[in-house]
Amino acid sequence: MYKWFALKRVLKGIVTYVIIIFIMSVLFNTVNEQTMRSNIEEQVRAESARLKNMQPAAIQRFQEQRRQDLIHLYRLDRPFMERILYRTWNTLTFNFGKSTIIKSSRGEREVLTIIGEALPRSLILFTLAAAIEIVVGIILGLKKAQKPGGSLDRSTSLITMIVYGMPTFWLAMILIMFFVYQLKIFPSAGMHSIPPPQGIMYFLDLLWHMTLPLLTLLLIGFWGVSYMVRNIVLSILQEDYILAARARGIPENKVLFGHTLRTAAPPLITMSVLQLLASISGAIIFEGIFSWPGLGNLYWIAVQQNDIPVLMGDLAITVGLYQLGLIVLDLSYGFMDPRIKVGGKA
Amino acid sequence: MKFADMQYRFSEFWSEFKKERSGLVGLAILVLSLLVVIFEPVILPWKEANSKWRNIDYWQDNSASAPPAWTNAFTKLKAPVTVRLDEGKKEEAYLDGGVQLVTYTFEYDYGADKAPLDVIFHVTGHGDIPVQVSVERPDGVMLDFAQRFEQGLAGQDIRISLDNDGREAAFSFIKNYESESALERYSGRSLRTGDILFNVAREGMAEEFEPLKGTYKLMVKAMLLDPENFSIENPYVVVTGSVSGILGTDDSKRDLFSGLVAGLKWALLIGLLTSAISVLIGVLYGIISAYFGGVVDSVMQFIYQIVNSVPVLPVLIVISAIFKPNIYMLIAVMVLFFWTGSVMTVRSMALQIKEETYIEAAKALGAKKSRIIFKHMVPILIPYSFASMALSVPSAIVYESSVSLLGLGDATIVTWGQILHDAMQGAAILKGMWWWVLPPGLLIAIMGMTFAFLGFSMDKILHPKLKTR
Amino acid sequence: MNSLLKVENLQMHYVTSKGAVRAIDDISFELMRGETIGLVGESGCGKTSLGTSILRMPTPPGRYISGKILVDGVDVIPLPEREVRRNIRWQKISMVFQGAMNCLTPVYTIGRQMMETINEHSDLPRPDAENLIKEYLGYVGLSPEIVQRYPHELSGGMKQRVVIAMALFLRPEIVILDEPTTALDVIVQAQIINLLKKLKQQFGLSFIFITHDLALEAEISDRLCVMYAGKIVEMGSNAQIYGAQGPGHPYTERLLGATPRLFKKVEQLQFIPGTPPDLIAPPKGCRFSPRCNKAFDRCFQEEPPLVEIEPGHMSACWLHQRG
Repeated sequence: MYKWFALKRVLKGIVTYVIIIFIMSVLFNTVNEQTMRSNIEEQVRAESARLKNMQPAAIQRFQEQRRQDLIHLYRLDRPFMERILYRTWNTLTFNFGKSTIIKSSRGEREVLTIIGEALPRSLILFTLAAAIEIVVGIILGLKKAQKPGGSLDRSTSLITMIVYGMPTFWLAMILIMFFVYQLKIFPSAGMHSIPPPQGIMYFLDLLWHMTLPLLTLLLIGFWGVSYMVRNIVLSILQEDYILAARARGIPENKVLFGHTLRTAAPPLITMSVLQLLASISGAIIFEGIFSWPGLGNLYWIAVQQNDIPVLMGDLAITVGLYQLGLIVLDLSYGFMDPRIKVGGKA
Repeated sequence: MKFADMQYRFSEFWSEFKKERSGLVGLAILVLSLLVVIFEPVILPWKEANSKWRNIDYWQDNSASAPPAWTNAFTKLKAPVTVRLDEGKKEEAYLDGGVQLVTYTFEYDYGADKAPLDVIFHVTGHGDIPVQVSVERPDGVMLDFAQRFEQGLAGQDIRISLDNDGREAAFSFIKNYESESALERYSGRSLRTGDILFNVAREGMAEEFEPLKGTYKLMVKAMLLDPENFSIENPYVVVTGSVSGILGTDDSKRDLFSGLVAGLKWALLIGLLTSAISVLIGVLYGIISAYFGGVVDSVMQFIYQIVNSVPVLPVLIVISAIFKPNIYMLIAVMVLFFWTGSVMTVRSMALQIKEETYIEAAKALGAKKSRIIFKHMVPILIPYSFASMALSVPSAIVYESSVSLLGLGDATIVTWGQILHDAMQGAAILKGMWWWVLPPGLLIAIMGMTFAFLGFSMDKILHPKLKTR
Repeated sequence: MNSLLKVENLQMHYVTSKGAVRAIDDISFELMRGETIGLVGESGCGKTSLGTSILRMPTPPGRYISGKILVDGVDVIPLPEREVRRNIRWQKISMVFQGAMNCLTPVYTIGRQMMETINEHSDLPRPDAENLIKEYLGYVGLSPEIVQRYPHELSGGMKQRVVIAMALFLRPEIVILDEPTTALDVIVQAQIINLLKKLKQQFGLSFIFITHDLALEAEISDRLCVMYAGKIVEMGSNAQIYGAQGPGHPYTERLLGATPRLFKKVEQLQFIPGTPPDLIAPPKGCRFSPRCNKAFDRCFQEEPPLVEIEPGHMSACWLHQRG
């Protein structure tokens, strides 16, 4: 039962991803091809610079020849549809080509490598933040649901609304101004000190650098989680089966943490994953402010330096991650909710 | 839906809404913002801030990177505030040869503890006009500063800045009190005209600034060689202080309060337009999908899922980087992604309504599909979408600021995001220019908070789940 | 005294911001060992509130104002919650709720929920508990393998049987059944009623059977208690009330009149005009008087007390009382 459901969902996700990449390939075709052509020029020029003892006319012929060869290699001389499909295929197989300017930490220019380095750095920060937000949010949300309309509930709901429209990057700016430049407690940028220390100090150094970004994310993040937890739990608490469980003599904390929380698990998971996905989306500016060398920061640098291949590759990966997140979300929801997992008659 | 019906529904809604305190606060702030936008021409200290935001000349007399004027209340040593003097006493004297000497005298009360950065004289001239500026200090000393002879003027502005054009005169003055050797340490760069002009005249004045407080007479003298054809008008003096304005200035001398006020209307426009259009589309989409069902529904669901699986901000940024859209195109792109927000709820509600008997009755009467949709279903569902409209405004505003922050925004307008972008470029965080960094983001946050208040209050009242109970 | 349950002058109100809703306004009755009392009345008359009150679980914002609920001679109202949860609820009194469809937590298996209930009330070792579960599932006619199923996999009737099994397996003396068959079709309804009758006999249970369906009530109970607007208006054996003499209160008469009969031709089904009174500010005098077709002056002025009009038959009506 579940296996079918899972399979269908994964397939749907893949198809969706392919379609999105296809649309993006069409949309950005012009820019991509411009970049390719200038890359070709660069390559041709590099090659002809190594030629010695040749007449200018001969050099020109060589360049023309090479240019045509490369154009043919990259299929720029083919009809539009074919170029689009070729590009879509390349993107799907993560064949992103070389960057224009940006280099990886080892000086390589393979876009895939560059992205591959940046990805885990984003993940550390955002998954840690999401995990803490969820735990704190659930605890707070449960407390709020137990006394709805009480002072804790109302005050935290007020703060939730105040923080709702607050841009994380602005809070980041303020905190940096205060903690980094006034109080001088935290480092201003980056993930590690330069050069990074060894051994246990490596981790401590990492934590030190992570504190401020983490703090910024948390200060805004967990309110929304707790508000949603509160609503979900509250609506479950009004259900008849909770009343029935209490009548059967189940003690209150088992009712709350067992029956209620377990029933709330599917929507809670949905919400948590969405939270994580949302932070991936907003990471660009955020990482930029902290110069945190993750995917988002890569975007920022790519935009500033007009490095189109990196930009495209980053976009494809980000969309892919997002899609993956949505799939994980549906799969875990289905797993947690027996109504979907086991199916059956009503 | 008749008008009376709408009125009734609205008054019902309003009596509920009045009970929500946060909603009322949100409404109050919204109304206040709208008033500010309407009265913007009156409120703006710098009237042409909108069109001349990137025009260096417009701001040239202002102080750069100056904290707000009211910070003086918190410092022991008072800094001079940038002021503009428009009221000058006009004196006319006649010299031999039919030449008219026109003098405008401006009184400046100097009471600060630190020196003004500059004194800038302006006058508009017609013809060939020699102009001289002089200052009479409270201690009686009269200093003649720069002279200028502008020819062929046809209503252009003559600008004389004491800091730029009056250094020589200032230095000659200070030589009366300081030795050459003492002055050797100071090149023309580090000792400003203001530091000398407003200084108590004494030995050691180059070393230390002691404010000479009192009334200064700032004079613009112009000689009209041909009083029939030549003339001057519109004289004014700007004393550039080290604090300025309600919210200070940025490093390009722009008054931040004006910039922020100018940005308010764009924030509102972006937020409201994006959310209104996208919710309208979403509602229609949901209704059509629910009403027609079958293949139409499946296809529409499929499209919905595809658009919904795209992370908006990264795509928005890439599109902005490559196509460099103006503000309306940006709104259009955002709408392209935002419409999915309300579709699911609307669709499920529309499915319920579809089964209602009055819809069947309408069909039996032969009503056209479009009539059923627009006359029966849309009016009921639109109110439910108000809440989601309000709640999507903050996202639209934040997205635009994010795009502007990266420098990809519309360069013809001023938005809060762009001000933040300039702040980043000008290393405001590093330099601790809190008045540049705090207010723009704070306003974004307040706007977000306002619509959150409004949206959540409306949600409480209109939420479908609560209604069906 | 063989009375298992004695309710004395119970008053339970819902305290809301608009005022106190007098849902249970001075109710007294007695339940003897082995007997079944039917509790009937319109929606909103307070019967479900009475059910949850006896279980010492009034729905918030309900509050006990005065009166006693004596279970085996002990007043349960002032007892601490822990005590009630351990010893009274589900051990002495259990309840089958209205709408059992939604009474089982959707994310736990049937077996887990049943096991959980047992564990909260006894120290039965696991194999014994499992046997108990199987035993009672057998009594209600369900196959033991459903312990692995989730609630949504069961039909309405099956879920109802599970709930009944759970209400019984700790051998409570009193079972409150609140409209246990309302949401089921007639065939299943008959099955459940037969099951209940069988179990009642088998275990010597006492039921409080809450319903608005008079025909059903007649099937299963011995005595009948008619409620209206938070008060008992008539109480007596089924024979007395449904008998030849007819009921002792106009309201009961009307209820009977509104019940369709299979073998009697009825021109028009009688219905009772009007709506139940506002329980925050009930009318002066007899609460039924605004809708009663036999009311006279005294009815609107003085509230009639619940008195015996023949041995074992109480009524609160001026018409049937002398004096």
